[in-house]
Amino acid sequence: MTAAYLARARKKVVVLERRYVLGGAAVTEEVYPGFKFTVCSYVCSLMRPQIIRDLDLPSHGFEVIPQESSFTPLPDGRYLFHRGDEEDAFQAIAKFSRRDAEAYPRFGRLMAKMAKFIVPTLSMTPPNIGSMRISELRKLLALNKQRKELTEDELYTFARLMTMSAADYLDEWFETDVLKAGLCASGIIGTLLGPRSPGTAYVLMHHYMGEIDGAYRSWGYVRGGMGMVSESIARAARKFGAEIRVNADVRRILVRNGRAIGVELASGETLHAKIVASSADPKRTFLKFLERSELPPDFVRGIENFKIEGSSGKVNLALKEAPSFSALPGNGPQLQGAISIGPSVDYIEKAYDDAKYGNYSHRPYVDMCVPSTLDPTLAPPGKHIMSCFVQYAPYTLRKGTWEERREEFGETVIDTIEEYIPNIRKIILHKQVLSPWDLEQVFGLTGGNIFHGELTPDQLLFLRPIAGWAQYRTPIKGLYLCGSGAHPGGGVMGAPGMNAAREILRDWAMLKV
Amino acid sequence: MTVAESYDVVIVGGGHNGLVAATYLARAGSRVLVLEKQGTVGGAAVTQEIAPGFRCSTGAYMVGLLRPEVIEGLQLATRGLQFLPCEPAVVALGQDHTALRLWTDSRKSQSEIAAHSAKDAEMYPRFLEFLGHFAKALDPLMVRAPPDIQSPAYNDLWFLFRRALRLRRVGTVPLQQLLRVPPMPVKDLVTEWFETELLRASLAADALLGTFQGPWSPGTAFGLVRHLMATADGGSWRFVRGGMGVLSDGLARAAQEAGATVRTHTEVARIMSSAGRVSGVETASGETIGAKIVASNADPKRTFLHLVDPAELSPEFLLQVRNYEMNGAVARVNLALDGAPRLAGDAEDLPPHFRIAPSLEYIERAYDDAKYGSASAEPFLDVVVPTVVDPTLAPSGKHVMSALVQYAPYNLRRGSWDKDRDKLGDRVLALLEDYLPGLERMVVARQVLTPADLESAFGLTEGHIYHGEMTLDQLYVLRPVPGWSQYRTPVDGLYLCGSGAHPGGGITGAPGYNAARQILRDWPRLGRA
Repeated sequence: MTAAYLARARKKVVVLERRYVLGGAAVTEEVYPGFKFTVCSYVCSLMRPQIIRDLDLPSHGFEVIPQESSFTPLPDGRYLFHRGDEEDAFQAIAKFSRRDAEAYPRFGRLMAKMAKFIVPTLSMTPPNIGSMRISELRKLLALNKQRKELTEDELYTFARLMTMSAADYLDEWFETDVLKAGLCASGIIGTLLGPRSPGTAYVLMHHYMGEIDGAYRSWGYVRGGMGMVSESIARAARKFGAEIRVNADVRRILVRNGRAIGVELASGETLHAKIVASSADPKRTFLKFLERSELPPDFVRGIENFKIEGSSGKVNLALKEAPSFSALPGNGPQLQGAISIGPSVDYIEKAYDDAKYGNYSHRPYVDMCVPSTLDPTLAPPGKHIMSCFVQYAPYTLRKGTWEERREEFGETVIDTIEEYIPNIRKIILHKQVLSPWDLEQVFGLTGGNIFHGELTPDQLLFLRPIAGWAQYRTPIKGLYLCGSGAHPGGGVMGAPGMNAAREILRDWAMLKV
Repeated sequence: MTVAESYDVVIVGGGHNGLVAATYLARAGSRVLVLEKQGTVGGAAVTQEIAPGFRCSTGAYMVGLLRPEVIEGLQLATRGLQFLPCEPAVVALGQDHTALRLWTDSRKSQSEIAAHSAKDAEMYPRFLEFLGHFAKALDPLMVRAPPDIQSPAYNDLWFLFRRALRLRRVGTVPLQQLLRVPPMPVKDLVTEWFETELLRASLAADALLGTFQGPWSPGTAFGLVRHLMATADGGSWRFVRGGMGVLSDGLARAAQEAGATVRTHTEVARIMSSAGRVSGVETASGETIGAKIVASNADPKRTFLHLVDPAELSPEFLLQVRNYEMNGAVARVNLALDGAPRLAGDAEDLPPHFRIAPSLEYIERAYDDAKYGSASAEPFLDVVVPTVVDPTLAPSGKHVMSALVQYAPYNLRRGSWDKDRDKLGDRVLALLEDYLPGLERMVVARQVLTPADLESAFGLTEGHIYHGEMTLDQLYVLRPVPGWSQYRTPVDGLYLCGSGAHPGGGITGAPGYNAARQILRDWPRLGRA
């Protein structure tokens, strides 16, 4: 992303990717012959429309297929299934509670309004709080102007969303447990928090920021898998003149007199540059690519304290036929959208309890999808890929290692799925299990954290990655952070990359380069 | 209906905040009547005889945040109030009979901590200093009404700006590091600074006392800042000689000397109002008392859901009050002891304050039980033995021991508190016996106050000792509900003056003080009615 924007500004850019494939965690890989696994990240919605426009991504192959429905089976055979439109959602929820069915659209509209308030802040560089410089005060005034867009009630709602747990906030709106569970889940995905943890109401609202063609909270599959997101951005970057190299493993960022002068690869090759922008997470960037002695001690301590414990695992399956749920059998529309194994709020909270004490959940929450039902390019005819995102799998296990326990974890996930799809074991052609450790080893996500760091208020905005260094710059002149470890954080948004490019160009213009 | 008598101000409930408000209002010349349901004033700040000759602060048990505006303003020293120091400030007990003594003097604590970790000993005073900046900067906010957030008054903005500037003196980056603290889980905060588990757990306990959150819960770090406000400027957590009842009695005398009338054994059944304007109260015995102003020291749920006519409140407001989180999480166990128990494996004398919370995980697991509606299988305890410094509470050589038990959720999923009261008492006693062998044999009397008992004895809805959770979503401009944080209520002339209003619970006297000033500010408009 940063490369594309900088190349567009006619800078000479080279992107160095360690793996053979681009995209970090937004990749498509043919893990099993004939099956394109969307290995990590599996749905898209938060990609900034501005970016899609600026880089003309659709012309480079970026196409989103809306994921419209949501299906949650219950152990007792009931289920909650609704498609995108309001009428359908009303009917589906009314089966459980008419009161909730009526409240649901009102809730969605309020969340969307709150999310709209946040959206412009995604493309802003956070202010440096406490600084009295005009440029910083102007940023604060801009935020204040944003604030005035909200009514008094909405301001209070925002304050409450930031400080309440998803469970408590939803208890004020709904009585149906499975409905609340589904919403709570979006409050905890990728975090080491539970539905009852204060602050998760904000993350729930954050997910309403998704827009595809203007429809809030709509998420979608990317045709060809998430790898196409990365590939289309790469194509745009190349079109602007950027060079992209794969199998180029950066080992060190070279520093001279407090200034970044280039990088050194594992092969020994060195490349020199005026600017180095790291899209690796903050821990990797500062504690692996640099010597601690090159950084101020307080800065190092802050990065060491940056929370980046992963909490998620991924199980990707190649299936010989479409899966069939005992609650709603058959290859129907219920397979085409989001599928959740998470029948109640307590279920998810108990899954979280396990993680707190260094275990993966003995009955995890699973966010599943079968994108091959809408995108036939992903699997041979009649066969399918199923992507299962699992909470919780804490990076640090109390007993054993992930290498030792990966299989066992995979079996637990299959056991859980089997309670809802009885024949799952018989139809699996291939199983890929990625623990947080694997996410770290393969995809370069330190701690296996999918967001390059927890999205909690103590690590957001002017505190991301740490206090005093939230404006993409680092203590090393010429070195910038342009990945999810910078504002506005993780999710496949492209915003950190775009914002970082802007700050780099600003410094360039001010001859700080 | 004829009104039997009338006053300028009726205060519903004779808790410490109500008495503070009464005193300030009476001093300003208004005719004030305080109505208290029980036979004594004080609410949860009382001294009770739990066995012949054994007296105990059965509810609130220590004071650290009582406002100087109240102590000096009401000349409490001349009204029988005498503070007794608590040293060591707390002794944290570990499972293997280790003990970590923490003192009010942080240098003394340093040498104790050094036995566990030299690094922690070095960090400890720096930690207190770091959070102390915050505590000191926030202190003036305690005695000031929160601002109106949609159209803040100019002097409120100026005040807050000056507070921010004051805090900014620490430097831009340290300021941002301080701003990082409030939303953090206390576990993360103490783990960043310290490696000694017992120290981490004790600090976490300080942050969590009385709340329904665990160390892993985001936002709990702020509880530690609040707790440290007692010591940030040279103060300390102390006992009241004779128990908390002496404080409440002193407040009552101050109110009476200022001209207020304090009537006990008088329960308010209804706050009367019509067309959005308060007109007085009706007691349980049917007596009506007219008043231009009514200030409720009762909690928000009791006030708005039981005392005020629902027709006077909008459905939205009532919904917000119903959503106000008050699920109490603590129980109290008070013991009369026939001797002086000893800590296992400890040569030192019995300390006046100790706690059983050996690790962060221990506390979190206790919280897990409560999350799912059960009393903690292994609760954490905050225990005081006031007789160590206050011999007036029990016969010579004998003691009272008083434990705060966490967690005991008011809303149980199975069973009832009536049936489970003794089980809780037994569990606490067994736990104490582990750390103080021989204790059980010394118990002469035992009083167990479940959350349901706290509700019926002290008028605390759902047994919540702070009149509602003190989490970030229910503080300052959000307390008790958004839009109503300035002591006023939707009923003109009706005010909230208890812990359900800013700055919340604990024995501070600040809500009462602030409410009185708000009433006096509004007086020109209301007094005429």
